[in-house]
Parts: sequence; structure tokens; C-alpha cells
Amino acid sequence: MSVSNTLSTASAKPRTRRPATRRQKRDWLFAAGFLAPFMILLLVFQYVPLLVMARNSVYDYSLLNPAAAKFVGLRNFTDMIDYDDAAVSFGVTFLFALGVVVFVIPIAFSLALFLNSKLPARGLVRTMIMLPVVTSSVVVATMWSFLLDPSNGLINGVLNIVGIGNQPFLTSTSQALPALIAMTLWQQVGFGAILFLAGLQGLPVELTEAARIDGATRRQVLWNVTIPLLSRTTLFVVVIMTVFSLQAFAPAFLMTQGGPQDSTNLIVYHIYNSAFIMQQAGYASALSVALLLVVLAISMAQMALLRSRWNY
Amino acid sequence: MNARILFLAGLLGATALGSTGAFAQDSAACTGEAVTLRILRTPGNYPYPAPMEAWQKENPCVKFEINEVPFAQLADTISVQAASSNPPDVLVYDGPNTQSYAASGILLPLTKYLPKDWDEDILPATKAEHSFEGEVYSPGIEQTTVAMYYNKKLVEAAGIKPPQTLDKAWTWPEALAAFKACQQGPAGAPSIWGLGPTRFGNGQPGLVYQDLIYQRSAGDPKAAPESSAYKTFWALSKDGKSVEGYLNTPEAIEALKFYQSLFNSEGVAPKVGIPNAFFDGKACFYIDTPAAGSALIKDPKIEWGITPIPYFKTPIVHTGSTTIGATARSKHPDIAAKFVVDMSTGEYAYMNVSQRGNLPTLKSLFPRFETYNAYPMKVFVDQLQEWGQPRPPGPKFAQYDKLVTDALRAVAFGGDPADLMADAEKKVQRVLDR
Amino acid sequence: MKKQHLRRGAMVALVIVVILCCFLAPYAWIVSSSFKNQLTLFNDVTPLSWRAFLPVEGTFENYRTLFARTNVLTALMNTAIVAGGQVALTLLLCSMAAYSLTRIRFPGAKIVFVLILLTFLLPIEAMMVPLYQVVSGLGLSNTLLGVMIPWIASPFGLFLLKQAFEELPVELEDAARIDGAGHVRIFFSIVLPNVKVPMLTLGLITFLFSWNSFLWPLVIIQDPAIQVIQVAIAQQGSPTQLPNWGETFAGATVATVPLILLFLLLQKYFTQGMTTSGIKG
Repeated sequence: MSVSNTLSTASAKPRTRRPATRRQKRDWLFAAGFLAPFMILLLVFQYVPLLVMARNSVYDYSLLNPAAAKFVGLRNFTDMIDYDDAAVSFGVTFLFALGVVVFVIPIAFSLALFLNSKLPARGLVRTMIMLPVVTSSVVVATMWSFLLDPSNGLINGVLNIVGIGNQPFLTSTSQALPALIAMTLWQQVGFGAILFLAGLQGLPVELTEAARIDGATRRQVLWNVTIPLLSRTTLFVVVIMTVFSLQAFAPAFLMTQGGPQDSTNLIVYHIYNSAFIMQQAGYASALSVALLLVVLAISMAQMALLRSRWNY
Repeated sequence: MNARILFLAGLLGATALGSTGAFAQDSAACTGEAVTLRILRTPGNYPYPAPMEAWQKENPCVKFEINEVPFAQLADTISVQAASSNPPDVLVYDGPNTQSYAASGILLPLTKYLPKDWDEDILPATKAEHSFEGEVYSPGIEQTTVAMYYNKKLVEAAGIKPPQTLDKAWTWPEALAAFKACQQGPAGAPSIWGLGPTRFGNGQPGLVYQDLIYQRSAGDPKAAPESSAYKTFWALSKDGKSVEGYLNTPEAIEALKFYQSLFNSEGVAPKVGIPNAFFDGKACFYIDTPAAGSALIKDPKIEWGITPIPYFKTPIVHTGSTTIGATARSKHPDIAAKFVVDMSTGEYAYMNVSQRGNLPTLKSLFPRFETYNAYPMKVFVDQLQEWGQPRPPGPKFAQYDKLVTDALRAVAFGGDPADLMADAEKKVQRVLDR
Repeated sequence: MKKQHLRRGAMVALVIVVILCCFLAPYAWIVSSSFKNQLTLFNDVTPLSWRAFLPVEGTFENYRTLFARTNVLTALMNTAIVAGGQVALTLLLCSMAAYSLTRIRFPGAKIVFVLILLTFLLPIEAMMVPLYQVVSGLGLSNTLLGVMIPWIASPFGLFLLKQAFEELPVELEDAARIDGAGHVRIFFSIVLPNVKVPMLTLGLITFLFSWNSFLWPLVIIQDPAIQVIQVAIAQQGSPTQLPNWGETFAGATVATVPLILLFLLLQKYFTQGMTTSGIKG
């Protein structure tokens, strides 16, 4: 997962080129042999589907009857512009990702500070917040479907005690997406906290100590020393959470089926729906190509930001 | 002495060996080649063991191999397996998909295998549902529809007497008055609901099967074919290719406003599923298939009755249930077709349907189902014969179903009916145009 | 001064309690509900009482019917097979690939790197349809091998092990090489035994990923006899049967408990692996 790391090692190669010795050739053969199974699987199961997907995106066909495929050129792509379902779906997904990232950073960071301190019950808290991370999205979605039930849900039960009436949650166009964001936050904040914790523990202690000696308060140390030093970690967490949110599927599939009124029509669910229920596999492939380009763009942006960031 | 014992032992052994095996073979031996028919279905569905064994006695060369998948995965499995090079021979699937499967070339046309009197004996709704471009693709094995159950104690305590026959059926406004009178507790969060939630899907409202009838019943099949009243009733053009002007009509919008009020301003129906609400006495009225009645007959938890489904202008109920067909790519098409037709007609049909508890599709079989000859279950038969319409049939029904269900659900949750129907028309038309 | 400490202590305690409630309560509710009778399951939620979290009149009925009527038990076994196989194959192939990339200089290594790097960016969920076409084209549709095989060449695994290998001092192997040992022997007898911890971590994370996977098994497997656990518990009932919420909760519990136990036992390897991959260096 360390993009910059591998790039730097990959570029450190010897420049001299001497003819290969017999032993080197034997080494290369061996390397090929050891590398081959991995690379073959990678090519077959990552790159070939990619090419198939690109090819499928210019056809119109249904999974029920793939032999009746029709070549339609760029029509699937123009459809994405002419009809608003793609724009709505991408919009919903971006909103979802934004909601997750914006809230996960401060919460995870605070938890990490807590875990890094000498306060009691650290081990217990760390275990608790990691439980949702190891729970499957299916179980989390099942749990939260019942938690969010408008009449019988646990959350409404708690709200009733505090005096708030039953909330519609997933049946309301305005509350459905925030509810899914909250659920995803619950599931992912532990992972973010662990990442921040690792970052905090990797910080050189001398810097914070020097700042304290110079008379800075705890808060000033936090704002002016710790947080800037963690910029790389923060960026890493942002990227991971963004990519994960862009690929979210189970909440839409299990809890809302994209509704109500497309307000939770996450893009991967829209792709699945187009292929398997609407029987428009070509259009689904075009959507997938678009998603791939979006993810590529975001990752490129990340790499650029990493390079230009002041490296502490 | 020894030889005789040996001989007897051998005879015993041979008969023991001969009678093992899942399906006991009769004395008639197979004279042709042995054939295995592969059946794909949901667990506990047709065809049932008794008729299958009886059929095997008359067709001893045939063995069965049954593959069962849960309902949620049936459609996907069919689309994957039927299009493959090694498809199942017999499919047991959800009826409204017949035209779409036929259009995709998955099903074998069965018209030439049907018995001669089938045309007169079959329910018109069934034949309409399973025909495509002049050919019949499934004989239809059972029919169901929905009716409105009510909790006798709660309803009588509120002083309501629901009609028991079709000619006195309520209109929807009359039904709403009954819901409100019977409901106990504040609107929107009562302890006992006027109209209980459906048990289909995830319990949320909107399913085409149950909720499209609100607007359809506001239409009129006898009006002029270009009028909006006509189109409102049919909800899709006859050839299944056009939907514009069929959903977003003034009559439909009015009906949908009423539908929406049930869940919002009147607060007599919940927006999400409540498990077992009616059976636990938490709902006065409840819409369901004969399955609920059969369950209550077996285990009478509450006192219950049935009243016909209310309507606005034209009474209507949706038909369509599990059905059976043969695959086009089957390696044994003639035998598969014969099996399918046999299971759905005559004595085999009776054996199958009586085990399941729903209604048959052949009018000649109705008198043999005694529970359906008297109130309360007779309401189902009457509704089926007089009011029954298939869900709007067409080769793209699965897509229509999802899109219109989503739109109806959004209406129930509070969205604007006109906007939602217009949007649904656009989306459905886009799929139909492909 | 003391008052300040007390107040701070109380606040900290409050925060801890809130965190524990937020994260523990849903699990407690699901597990306790799985032991309740289906008809009274939701009785203790509105109005909310402590009974929601403790099954007062507990019953094993839900679990009994879950195991008797559905394919959950077979699904658990299938998932164990798939997860175990995926872990074994992933560890083997990734370690072999990492070895060749870190120990042997050969032309084209850079291109290979970039190829592997790029796959990080592919949104796998969006590639389900073409992946399905490839896998069924290979005849692996509806097989357990088909469930695990697309994920064995894991870029994450490769990077994790590559980092681990790079931290091994080369001197160990040099000594063996001088003695005449070939690559294979060095790999199995010297390199691998020294990367036990990263391998264990990768194994755990792969197991987690495999056990929890849902979308791919949903697409590739139709036969309920070889279905995996997450898909098995996600299936809704048939429309002719009344839904059984108790079984749903029991299924969710059954699908999660093995992983939670594994996690509790081996916590530090899990969290270690999730962070070593990128933060340092």
C-alpha cells in the first residue's frame, strides 16, 4: 500500500550494463519461475477483466442472452451524460465519501490521542473500536438495519428515552444517506484510529518535548507540532477511506436498494443493478470504466500531493 | 438343501438391491435410453414427490436431479445457468418472468405439447401471462392472488362489518374509514395498526404485486383505448413496449395521493415491516395470499375473516405465482416439455397444487379443492376469476417491477406522486427502448 | 488541583463509557436477540429496557432452526475451506514473488513493479461482471476455487512481504550462498523462517478478507451447497414463508463469532499488519 515507498526503491537501479553472466541468466530464469505464478494470476484476474470490461462497454447486451450482443459504439457513454442516473449516482457516492472522510479524521485522531496517552482502559477501548473493522459488511448492514428501524429500532428506543420521537432514518430521502455514513463511520473509525496511533508512536519525541520546554501548552503542542508532523499519515488515511467509500456496496444492496428515490444509489450498487437486474451489462461496463477513471484521477492527485508535501 | 437356501438368499438379495434407490422403480422396466431431467427450483417448491413418483411409473426411463437455490438467488441462477452450455432441463420460476425469459430465448415453446382442451380450461389471466408472440411458454401450475384478511375480534369490537362477497366489496375510501375506526392509538405510531404491513420482500410498501392495484383500479378497461382511464388500468401497452402515458395519469395521481395518505397523513399503515404483525394481533386488516389463510386454518391463533380487495372504480387483483417451464437449450426437450405439461394438467396438477395450498390454474380442478368452495377462502377463487389480471406482462417485466416498485415505495415514504410517476415512466421507457 | 483531576477523571470515564456503549451495544443487542423468541423479539426495544441486551428467557430455538433448516453449517465449512486455501496460496505465491523482486536483479523488474502497482487502483467491485465472464470462461464458475482464485495474486500481500524481505540482512543468505546453496534452499530454509511475523499478519488479514467477502461469492456461486457464510446469512426468505428475524440474528452472530474470537486472540498481529504497510519509511 505504500505507493511512494515502492516508487523510490524501484528507481534505484544500477546504470551500468554488462553482458549477463551464465549465473545471472540462471538467476533470471529462477526469478521468472518464482514470479510467474503470481504474475500469471495477476494478469488473468486483474488485467484481462479490465480489457474485457473496456470491450463490453461499447456493446449492448444482457446477461440472460449474451449471444445477442449489439455493438453500439460510444452510446453507453453518451447515455451516461444524457440521462441523469450516472450523475446522481456518482454525486451520491462522492457525498458519501466526503461525509465519511470529513468525520472519520477528527474522530479517529481523537481516539488515537486517547490510545496514545496513559489513560485507563486503553486496551479495552482499542479492542472495542476494532471489532466493527473485523466484522463483515453484511453483518454490519444487518445490525444497522435493525438499529435504524423506524418503529422497533434500538436507536429510536434510545432517542425516545431522551425525549426525541421516532426518526424515519432509512425511509426518508434526507436521512438515509447520513444514516449510511454514520454506519460506515462506526465500522471504519477503529481502522483510522490504529493508523493514526501508529503515526503518533512514530513521531520523534524530542520535538514535542522541546516545544513543552519552550513553554507551549498542550494544546499549542498539538496544533503546531503534532498535527503538522502527521500530515502524511492524515493524507494516507484520507486516501484509504476515500477509496473504500467509493467502493461501498453492501449498505445499498442490503439496506436500501439504492432508495429512497436514488438517495443512496452508490455507484457500485448502480453498476450491479444495471448488469444483473436491469439486464444492461454493456451500460454497467461503461459505468465501471468511468469509475476506474475517477479512482485513477484521485490516486494520481494523492501521489502528486505526497510528492509536493514537505517531507518531515 | 444348501442350493435351495442359496437360491432363496440370492433372490432376496436381488429384490433388496432392486428396491433401494431414491425412487422405487415399478416392475415396468425402461426400454429406451435412460434420461436424467435436471430441475432448478427454490426449496420446497413444485413439483412434489408424490406426483413425480407417479409420473415416473409411467415414464420409467426418466430420473430426476434437483437443484435448489434460495428465492433471492433464483433469478440470478437462472440467468447464469440457462444461458450456459449445460442448462437445467426444467425451471421452476416466478411467473411474471415468462415473457422476459421467452424473449431471451431461454424457454421452450410448449404450445404443441398442450392437451386439446387446455385453451378452454385455463384461466385467461394465466394464459395471458405465459404467452409471448403467439406461443405458450408455460402451462401455469398454480395461481394465487391477495385478499384482505381481518381480525374478527378487533373489527367487531369497533362495530365494523366487512363485506364477504365481491358484489358488496368496499371502495378504498370506505376501507380507510374502517382502518381508522379499528386502529388503536395515535395515528402513525399506534399500538394496533389499521392496515398491517406486507410480509413480502423486506416488508416495506411499494411492491408492484400488491400496490400497483391502487392506481390500476382507478382506471377503466372499457374506456376508449386512447383515453387516460384505459391506460391507467393497463399500466403498460399491450405489446409491452411503451409505458409513456400509462403511469403518470390524472387518475393514477389521485389514487396515489390516497395511497400516500395511508402511510403519512392518515397514519394507518406502517412504512416498514413488522414481523408477524397480523398474527400477533397488532393489525386489524392485512393483505396476503391464501398461504396466510392456510396457516391460520392449521393453527388458529386469532379469529379471522376475509373481505375482497377494495377498489376505486374498477376492481382488480394481481395474479401470478410460481410456474414451471422447460428450457430451450435442454438436451431432452421433448421429455422435459412432456414432464412440464403433465405436472400442470389433470391428476398430476391436482396432486401438486393440493399439497401447496394455493389455487390451480385449470377451471375444471376448482371444484376439487374443498376449502375454496366456501367462505372465507372462496373469496380468492371469485377474485381470481372475476377480477384477476396479471401484473403488466412484457419481456422487460423484471426491470419494470424494480423501477415501479421503487417509485411506489418513494410515494409511500412521502415523495410527490406526479414527479415520481413521471420519473418512473422515463426510466422504464429507457429500458424498454433498448 | 485535586478537583480538576477528579473532574477530568470523571469526564474521561464518561467518554470511555460512551465509546464502549456505542461499540459494544449493537453486538450485545444482536447476540441477545438471537436467543429470544421470534414473536417477542422487539418487545424490549420500545420502550427501551435493559432486557434488550440480556435474554431473560433465552432459547436456543433460533440456532436450532438455523442449523437444521438452512445451509449455514455447510456454509461455515465452505468458508473455512476457501479462507484456508486462500491464505495458503496467497502466502506461497506472494512470498515467492517478493523474493524474486527483492533478491534478484533482472531486466524488466521495474515494469513488473508498475504493473503490480497499478492494480491497487482498480476498483474490484466494479469489475464483477467481466471478472465473472473470465472466471466462468475458465470453467470455474460455481466452484470454491473460483471464489478464491482472483484474490491470490494480492498486491497488498506482495508489498507487505517485499518490505519484510528488504529488512532482512543479506549477510545471512550470503553465507549460505558461499556454501553453495541455491535460491530454493535459501528461500525455504533461511528467508521464510525469518519473516514469520509478517507472514502471520498477512495470513490473518487474508483470512479476514476471505471470511468477510460477500459480493464476489454472491456473483460466482449459485449452488447453496457450496455457498459461503456471508452470502448464506444475507439471503431473505422466500415470499411464501414468513420471515424469521430470530434466525437472521442468529445467522449474523454465527458469521461473526469465529472472526471475533480469532481477532481477540491475535490482536497485535492484525493491527501490526494494517499499519506496517505504509506509515513507516
